Amino acid sequence: MQSESARMSSAAEARFRVQAPNSTPRAIKVIALDAAAEVAIRRLARTGWAHATFFTAKSPDDALSDLAGAHCHTEDEVDTADLVVLIAGPGGRAYAATLIGEACSARRVMTTGFVVDALGASDRELSKTLAQLRPWSLMVVIANSDEYLDDMMTALRA
Amino acid sequence: MLRKEQSDQLTQTGPGTPMGLMFRSYWIPALLAAELPENDCPPVRAKLLSERLIAFRDSRGRYGLMDEFCAHRGVSLWFGRNEECGLRCAYHGWKYDVTGQCIEVPSEPEASGFAKKITLRSYPLVERGGILWTYMGPPAAQPPLPEWEFITVPPPQTFTSKRIQESNWLQAMEGGIDSSHVSFLHRGDLNSDPLFKGARGNQYNLNDSRPVFEVAESAGGLHIGARRNAEAGHYYWRITQWVMPSFTMIAPRGNHAVHGHFWIPSDDESCWAWSFDYHPIRELTATELAAMRDGKGIHVRYIPGTYRPLANKDNDYLIDRAAQKAGRTFSGVEGIAMQDASLQESMGPVVDRTKENLVSTDNGIIMARHRLLRAVKALIDNGVVPPGVDPIHQKVRSAAIVLPPDVPFTEGAREALIARPDIAPASV
Repeated sequence: MQSESARMSSAAEARFRVQAPNSTPRAIKVIALDAAAEVAIRRLARTGWAHATFFTAKSPDDALSDLAGAHCHTEDEVDTADLVVLIAGPGGRAYAATLIGEACSARRVMTTGFVVDALGASDRELSKTLAQLRPWSLMVVIANSDEYLDDMMTALRA
Repeated sequence: MLRKEQSDQLTQTGPGTPMGLMFRSYWIPALLAAELPENDCPPVRAKLLSERLIAFRDSRGRYGLMDEFCAHRGVSLWFGRNEECGLRCAYHGWKYDVTGQCIEVPSEPEASGFAKKITLRSYPLVERGGILWTYMGPPAAQPPLPEWEFITVPPPQTFTSKRIQESNWLQAMEGGIDSSHVSFLHRGDLNSDPLFKGARGNQYNLNDSRPVFEVAESAGGLHIGARRNAEAGHYYWRITQWVMPSFTMIAPRGNHAVHGHFWIPSDDESCWAWSFDYHPIRELTATELAAMRDGKGIHVRYIPGTYRPLANKDNDYLIDRAAQKAGRTFSGVEGIAMQDASLQESMGPVVDRTKENLVSTDNGIIMARHRLLRAVKALIDNGVVPPGVDPIHQKVRSAAIVLPPDVPFTEGAREALIARPDIAPASV
């Protein structure tokens, strides 16, 4: 006699998977921590994401800005985030990582650290940035191409 | 989430499909050499990349892999007679050599030259490391033979098995690079499986159940690092190798053998899960080999005479709810390979990726898809040879290593991630 597994995992049975949406939109805040990252997120923001907003934070104090240059408060933005993506280039200029990371940690918000322009960067430059991102990132991505950001955002339903 | 057209592109590997063309750029494992153990032994059927093929070993020890069906009336050559340097169809006696060339059509006068006009599509089949490898792409683009370390070490140092998995290759391969499931699905096996237990690194796993992940691109694919806390502020890293399109190698534990997989499409709804264990500098012990043959570690027990696992979807994978409840296994299914396979097969033959909800820790999977899609496009649009074809991309190792906190694992483990003869693997 055929078991439940054999029957339920067939291609024919796959047609009967419930078609209702199985998730609600998640708010993703993408924050550039240095100039290299800002170039990447300005390009990324032009795609027009439904559930992502973009910021820069290039100094260690509370100087979060949206891409139009308007000042925002870190706590307010983290409060309404499901995921915060921290982006920085090699060289260790991600000075605001600690402030934002602490806010995420206090609110149990998931974080991803993303190193752009990694191709050709020296180990020393990469190491400096990783030392800033690692304590605050539950996932770190070192990509050779910034195009990966687009695919990551799509995959995460941004 | 992946758009349907992207998912279709990655999961369809038949002739003429973009991903099929990409798989046909590589030498892929076709059969265990033990399946054709001697000259003139019975032929073996093999379905690869949605093509039904027949493999045989002729009277002079040459291997052949060709279209399964006789050009005359379409009969399967599996029923054929392997004799006198050719495979003879059991129906009307047409005979083929290892290149697929018809060499005899008994009903036609030999002088007519009719046989010369009949040729079955065939592919090279070469033995390397106890595995028969084939290349199914255009002959002019045939790459150098594979150089994976597990097939280049002396035979007593390596063991390979295979099993059929009833799911598309991609969802099986994605399981191989999905490091975050290990802390759940396989947690019961670290201290019990004879091919895992006893390693110092196991304690780091068990002490820190919330690893942090890092993904970095490599020349041939990806390095996927899982980081856990170790002593004195250091990190314990487990680094998985993924080499395109479907080679994965898991970080070693202690002095145990190193293991990994190939995930090779049989058709779009099933794949061959190849599983290898080897040690770069020592022979495998009799105890280890016995455990591997007994289905421990990443290997399985079979239905006798087949490569179908004994625990399979027709028997609900022999699920043991009492073991699940007691915590001896997390899912109730025994054995690492079938723990993975049972869940991956439950997704259906080809999972609907438009409905999935990936999270940040799935970046290994996301980046693998990203690299595959880019490589397929470069191959189709510009004829760019994909990563993983060059043997230098195959000279890799996984690693387990303790590093200072500010060191990129790609730097700290750089030497450890390269396969070098007579050098012990980096393992904890």
